Amino acid sequence: MGALAAAIAVGLGALGAGVGNGLIVSRTVEGIARQPELRGQLQTTMFIGVGLVEAMPIIAVVIALIVM
Amino acid sequence: MGQYEMMMARQRKWMFYLLAVLVMGAGFTPYVRIFLGLLLGSVISFYNLYLLQKKINDFAEAVAKKASAKGLGTISRFAAAAVAIIIALRFEEYFSIIAVIIGLMTSYLVIMIDFFVFRNKQ
Repeated sequence: MGALAAAIAVGLGALGAGVGNGLIVSRTVEGIARQPELRGQLQTTMFIGVGLVEAMPIIAVVIALIVM
Repeated sequence: MGQYEMMMARQRKWMFYLLAVLVMGAGFTPYVRIFLGLLLGSVISFYNLYLLQKKINDFAEAVAKKASAKGLGTISRFAAAAVAIIIALRFEEYFSIIAVIIGLMTSYLVIMIDFFVFRNKQ
């Protein structure tokens, strides 16, 4: 049961992060393609967004490994 | 130097300062287990930060040049966090697990503080 719990924790965490990252990256790509001179600013926003979105699944991985 | 490169340099600098403080804590205080855990977590967190910075730079460069972009390295970062926890679980007598988890979150703290401090300056 521990392995199942770990799998569900990582899976749901990664699902949420995947959707979040997808939204952030798609908007950034759209922005850079439209205005390449704003690349630095958009890249910075994307970096902060992706970084914060990925904090949660990393915690999920940690919790999954502890409960296993 | 662009805005992104400056932010990268600042974040790495703060992470290095933090690592130096943690090394001194592990060397000179009696709380060796906690500081070693924090150090392990922070080293992996620093690797995650470096990987995120590099991958996003490569990604944006590829998009700007209209070349095909590769991934963002999400699985590598998850795997790095898993390695840190596996090391902490295997060598529990040297590393405190709670400290490793707190250490893993330091780069996010650095990112957020840097964002809030330098948001108004640029």
